[in-house]
Amino acid sequence: MLLEFCKDALLAAVAAIGFGAISRIPQRAYLWCGIIAAIGHSIRFLLMQPGINLHIIAATSVAAMIIGSLAVFISPYAKTPAEAYLFPSLLPMIPGIYAYKSFGGAIMCMLESSQESFEYYFYQFAQNGFITVTIILAMVICATIPIFIFKNRAFTATR
Amino acid sequence: MTVSTTNKYEAIIGSDDPLRPENVEMSSKEVCLFLSEYAVSLLGCGATCIRLEKNINRMAAVFGKKVDLTIMPRHVHMTVRHPGKDDIFTSIASVKPAPISFSLNTRLSELSWSVADNHIPLGKAKKMFLNVISSDTENPWLTLLLASCANAAFCGIFGGDAIAMAIVFIATALGFNLKQVLLKKGVDTRIVFFICAFVSSVIGAADYLFPYGGTPAIAIGTSVLYLVPGIPFLNSFNDMLYHHYICAVIRFIDAMVLTGCLSLGLCLGMKLMCVSMF
Repeated sequence: MLLEFCKDALLAAVAAIGFGAISRIPQRAYLWCGIIAAIGHSIRFLLMQPGINLHIIAATSVAAMIIGSLAVFISPYAKTPAEAYLFPSLLPMIPGIYAYKSFGGAIMCMLESSQESFEYYFYQFAQNGFITVTIILAMVICATIPIFIFKNRAFTATR
Repeated sequence: MTVSTTNKYEAIIGSDDPLRPENVEMSSKEVCLFLSEYAVSLLGCGATCIRLEKNINRMAAVFGKKVDLTIMPRHVHMTVRHPGKDDIFTSIASVKPAPISFSLNTRLSELSWSVADNHIPLGKAKKMFLNVISSDTENPWLTLLLASCANAAFCGIFGGDAIAMAIVFIATALGFNLKQVLLKKGVDTRIVFFICAFVSSVIGAADYLFPYGGTPAIAIGTSVLYLVPGIPFLNSFNDMLYHHYICAVIRFIDAMVLTGCLSLGLCLGMKLMCVSMF
């Protein structure tokens, strides 16, 4: 499990740095971005392990809140707006497989003519789609709340 | 030794008189034209409405003016007035289409603090602004490499094996490079998203065609994730928190349209490669 945990954190950091580069964050923020994403993703990983066994939506919300808070408190040290860290750090938590299955279900609904098949694929589309949308909403709202609460700190980061 | 932002800019522009009496005599028109230009540049690089408001008001206070703003995703409507005087000027400026750049966002925010903390005169602030917007460059090859590594890492996070990660790396590198080229040629963003998703998904489907890897579904699913318009989604929710509902809704719709274009490209690519999701 330790190996899996480390692999997960490392991959999340690499993904965050890459997506930070796409959104052109300052190069001095690359390292922080990787660290925030690794911490956030690792926390979600731990919360979903047997023993704690938190649901993916709750685990993602907690991790997103921690990512948002870290972004607010680290931003003055890196002299970069807190928003710059959010997207790259949150992206590794996007429920890609749920989104993929939901999208696939929607396409298959259109292609299938029998009622039985349609119902099966519509269930796939609705269930996976609902989870995807809820996770994304929870993630974005929970990550943005710390910036809203600590607005003075967040908006003086580049001072 | 750390060099402060102000000193860094002063090294470029040259120091100026510290008393800044010229700020008192500036017309609202001059200030409005400068702040409008600043606002459209900041909004164009992906800043939130609240950041724009705060930065503009911070600088306007230094110039002795009050500002009223209407922020729309494509335009900024601004009225600058001098309290107690009959000196009012209004302008509407169009947002310049530009790629998301937190680097530019950071430097423009630094500029606003620099102007506010050091009471920098308008003429010098304009020079500093031109210097900031003209020096926002990136290394496209480094971005391409990092984006490809990021998407391959994504594939690994979602449980993809080494073959799937290698395929996603190649699919992203080609798709992202195509995106850079098409955007440079001025092709509509929606068409770019559709084409790039199509190309990446066709390459991502290689794991289905050759029996080397064991996670082909993850490879094709993650091959287009580099196109997810995450910043507009995040900015949309941020705007909502600060009661900028119109801007929030429009940004959300914009992000949904881009997501739709990328989904269509993915769908067509999978259809072409005869790949089923279940």
